[in-house]
Amino acid sequence: MAEWLQSPWFWPAVAAGGAAVIALAALLLFSPVYKHIVCLKYLFGGWKAVVPIVSALPAALGVFLLILVFAIMDGFVSETREMTRGTLADIIVDAHLGGMPYYDEFADRIERIEGVEAATPVIQSYVVVRVKPSGEYRYVKPIVRPCLLLGIRPAEKAKMGRFLNYLESWRTVTGGVKEEDAKMERFLEHLRRLYAVAATPEALERLLDVPPEYRKAGQPPRPGVIAGTAVIGVPVTDYVSEDVTIGAGRRVLAWFLAAVATVVFLFIWRAAVHRPGRVGWRVAMGLAGLSAVGFYVAALAAPVHPGQVIRPEVVDYPLLGRGDDLVVSTIPVRPSGAIDTEPGGIPKVSSRVFALVDVFRSKYWEADSSHLYVDLAVAQQMAGMEGDPAQGVPARASQIQVKISDPAAAGTAVDRIQKAWEAFQAERPDEDLPQVTVNTWETQQRMILTVVEVERNITTLMLGLMFVGFAVLIALISYVMAYIKSRDVGILKAVGASDAGVGSLFLGYGFIIGLLGTAIGMIGALLMLHYLDPIEIWVNQTLNVDIFPREMYYFDRIPRHLSPWWCVGVSGAVLGLATLASMVGGLLAAIRQPVETLRYE
Amino acid sequence: MSEPILQARGLAKDYWMGAARLRVLHDVSLSVARGEFLCILGPSGSGKSTLLHLLGLLDRPTEGRVIFEGEDAFSRAKRWRDRMRNEAIGFVFQFYYLMPDLSVLENTLLPAMIRTPLAVWPFARWGERARAMEVLKDVGLGERVQHLPRELSGGERQRAAIARALVHRPRVLFADEPTGNLDSATGAEIMRVLERLNRKEGLTVVMVTHDASIAERADRVLHLADGKLLTERK
Repeated sequence: MAEWLQSPWFWPAVAAGGAAVIALAALLLFSPVYKHIVCLKYLFGGWKAVVPIVSALPAALGVFLLILVFAIMDGFVSETREMTRGTLADIIVDAHLGGMPYYDEFADRIERIEGVEAATPVIQSYVVVRVKPSGEYRYVKPIVRPCLLLGIRPAEKAKMGRFLNYLESWRTVTGGVKEEDAKMERFLEHLRRLYAVAATPEALERLLDVPPEYRKAGQPPRPGVIAGTAVIGVPVTDYVSEDVTIGAGRRVLAWFLAAVATVVFLFIWRAAVHRPGRVGWRVAMGLAGLSAVGFYVAALAAPVHPGQVIRPEVVDYPLLGRGDDLVVSTIPVRPSGAIDTEPGGIPKVSSRVFALVDVFRSKYWEADSSHLYVDLAVAQQMAGMEGDPAQGVPARASQIQVKISDPAAAGTAVDRIQKAWEAFQAERPDEDLPQVTVNTWETQQRMILTVVEVERNITTLMLGLMFVGFAVLIALISYVMAYIKSRDVGILKAVGASDAGVGSLFLGYGFIIGLLGTAIGMIGALLMLHYLDPIEIWVNQTLNVDIFPREMYYFDRIPRHLSPWWCVGVSGAVLGLATLASMVGGLLAAIRQPVETLRYE
Repeated sequence: MSEPILQARGLAKDYWMGAARLRVLHDVSLSVARGEFLCILGPSGSGKSTLLHLLGLLDRPTEGRVIFEGEDAFSRAKRWRDRMRNEAIGFVFQFYYLMPDLSVLENTLLPAMIRTPLAVWPFARWGERARAMEVLKDVGLGERVQHLPRELSGGERQRAAIARALVHRPRVLFADEPTGNLDSATGAEIMRVLERLNRKEGLTVVMVTHDASIAERADRVLHLADGKLLTERK
């Protein structure tokens, strides 16, 4: 179900919208009919109809840009959120590099909290990775990169975020399978073949195991590692083909121009009817009509067929294959925060060779370029967090990641976990348990999310300023209309129309201009969003302008996220502004005395 | 004499020209009987249109009272005066004052459209339209109902204005120089229409004019000069 349908504001908003529509309908139905007839005559009578159409254009442009730009910017925000969220979990209990002991006991306690589905410990350690290319790249110099080592329990981590979906093996094995359960079945079957284990959910525990064919005879066993696609690869520009509908953008443009020419033709026709002797009007009408017919023919005749386009795309070309070595080095940190040193004060480095078992690609650059997933116990050893049972030193974990059933209730869950930790600390007064921070994934990633959201909001604000110009235009037009029509105002009042009634006639005038602008802008924006991909391809091919260079983004296509709330908000704002601005004319008409306009010719 | 439908008591009207006050009507009192044809005669600038606007509840007097059908009009709410103008009063102006965007029929339907809500209009429309057509035929415009005012001659425009003033069956018709913008033949035709309405249908008519020959056709003539009512002639 769409996210906005699940919003707690949905039904109140529907109720408020319904009440507003009913109130507006009642207002219209029970107001004198002259207002509607005169207002429509002012708006669409003869050549004067050009005035409201022209006045509506700034509103239409504003609505069009606000809906379109916000949908695209919000698409970026949503995709970024999805990516960052997918690499983390709903809630993170962070004990930082020092780590927290008794993590399993506390994870159990977290799992007993209402609304929590699962909790798993994670080790974090900053490491240096040495990638020695193999195969055809074996002559390339080794690459050394700083990375983040993440010790996980694969079966538990698979429940968090979208970890499983980001694995290359998952994408390869489950590609083309639509249902989520069928995907999992297929993936477990893949693990069964790899490790000869039962295809049960427990098989996910083998994700970091090294399959027999990758083991090297005569060498000590290597633990498995899942590395980010950019950790083991180098970025290269590749040319990829994409299935598209060729000609769709051209056809959309032709339909749009045909619609514009039709509207122009209709207005000129209305004007020409009242000017039978004017040849210029006939010529203009003919030109507009011919243009409209031409564009319709072009729209209908434009060849549209399925095809492919070749576009550049930056991909991380892997320098390593499955089973290749990956050397990871780190400096262990003791519970006290101290670093073990060699004689002479040189930090003791913990180094280990891993075998690459899978590749991780989330499209979130931070994760893809630095994450290394290894087994929890292995990571503990490397980071010096394994503890010493003989001496009663407990093992430690850097984080506990938590999955909750209702992401909307994350705030409540955070509070409960925080309280649970305080209680946990209180039960062990002699252990000197560290302070932990409990955050949602959003808080944890607020820096990157805030940047994207700020960009979206600033762009929206800038575009929103267009409406100030629109409001001024409507105010001026309504003032001029009320001034030009002051004789009509006098006549209406002489025949018994009330001041408020005549004033509201001009409010209706502004409202309808706003409505017209909103409708044109909204339809245009929705069409543009619907046909964004073919239009982008058409612009690329026709004008040779790459408006969305894939090498700069990880997205396959221009992201978009259309929020119905935003559409409703923008429409309401335009209608409200138009009505408010037209109060200038409405007030002028309302306060004007009939005798002022009827006294003299 | 029958009961008065309209009375003016000590009417005065001031206009402000910057800081200077200009009194255009001085202590005017008069009475109009139901079914009477009253003419107010005076030269240009004498204040006759101002007096007509005050009597027709279009403008508020600086001093004095207008009593319409026994009610002190300016002590009542504005809403009441609007309703009276819509239901009990009809106006005919020298310059017709038809709405240029509306057809002759729509102009004639204007009083009905002002008092009828949109929700009721689909039901009331046909009755109102029939009445408007009847009045338009009565004034000789039955064939021109769909025309815009700019497509009519001066006489036709004035007859359309009379149709609009009569369509709601007013109790008083105010006419402000109704023939002032017409040639003599068309003016005479308009006067015949007004006389017929007064004589045959008992419509009270209050007309202002500067033309003594037109004024002679009224039951009673009041002379106005410099904002003062001078004489009364039967």
